Amino acid sequence: MPLFYSFFKSLVGKEVIVELKNDLSIHGTLHSVDQYLNIKLTDISIPDPDKYPHMLSVKNCFIRGSVIRYVQLPAEEVDTGLLQDATRKELAQGKQQPAASAGSAAPAVTTT
Amino acid sequence: MADVREGHAVGGDIEEPLDLVRLSLDERLYVKMRNDRELTGRLHGFDQHLNMIMSEVEETVTTLELDEETFEEIYRTTQRTIPMIFIRGDGVILISPSPLRQGHK
Amino acid sequence: MALSSIEPYVNRSVSIITGDGRVIVGTLKGFDQTVNIILSNSHERVYSSSSGVEQVQLGLYIIRGDNIAVIGELDEELDSEINLNDIRAEPLNPVVH
Repeated sequence: MPLFYSFFKSLVGKEVIVELKNDLSIHGTLHSVDQYLNIKLTDISIPDPDKYPHMLSVKNCFIRGSVIRYVQLPAEEVDTGLLQDATRKELAQGKQQPAASAGSAAPAVTTT
Repeated sequence: MADVREGHAVGGDIEEPLDLVRLSLDERLYVKMRNDRELTGRLHGFDQHLNMIMSEVEETVTTLELDEETFEEIYRTTQRTIPMIFIRGDGVILISPSPLRQGHK
Repeated sequence: MALSSIEPYVNRSVSIITGDGRVIVGTLKGFDQTVNIILSNSHERVYSSSSGVEQVQLGLYIIRGDNIAVIGELDEELDSEINLNDIRAEPLNPVVH
């Protein structure tokens, strides 16, 4: 499983701020993520509602991965040592053979 | 090879650009992004797209404003710090471990 | 997967933020793996800093996934409490890749 896909899966249920390439920031609870790093948030709020009232009546949303600039993360929930090891592992695996699982064990990705 | 500097590195030789990024794991580095954004922070993870996780990040955004009276171009910078951040790789222009940039405000 | 992610929004009222900064509200009737979507009974909400939100009827719309930034599930109860005529705001910026 790709590094950042499994990384974000490990943060499901945690609060994040997703900053988009249109400068909008959305605060919410990470609900799910997919292999494109599309992100679903629940219980969202907009940090600057006066400037951005466009999502006032939206509580849950799906964000296309390609429009994300940053995701601000809860620092205490990130095991930086583990992440660094997983990064080295993925890099080494990428050189030997394409595709091999990095990080935690995961179910195979199935497409319909 | 330069790899020796990082004792616990796996994968051995320096063969490609990403091997150099690996040497910056757990080090502070400078990232230039699209749209006049610059970051410095400590690198904890990355992949082949240059998606990255960094901590203790300082972001500087430079905007160009036109003085309405004198038509002078004024560069204005705004700064913020972010404790832990995921950066999507498609916005990354360059990364540098150079300490020269670190004092750049 | 992307598919399972949007599935719960089908037949619900959604608010779409497009790549060029528009806000389109409608009922989500379908989608595919590239996040192309079909909206029925859709309208655009045009934000302005000088007057209230203008609603423009659009009808049945197919929006290409590449031009979609956010799909928000519209809480209709919350939405009915908001007086769009009172809201003043600049339109959203376009997505700059």
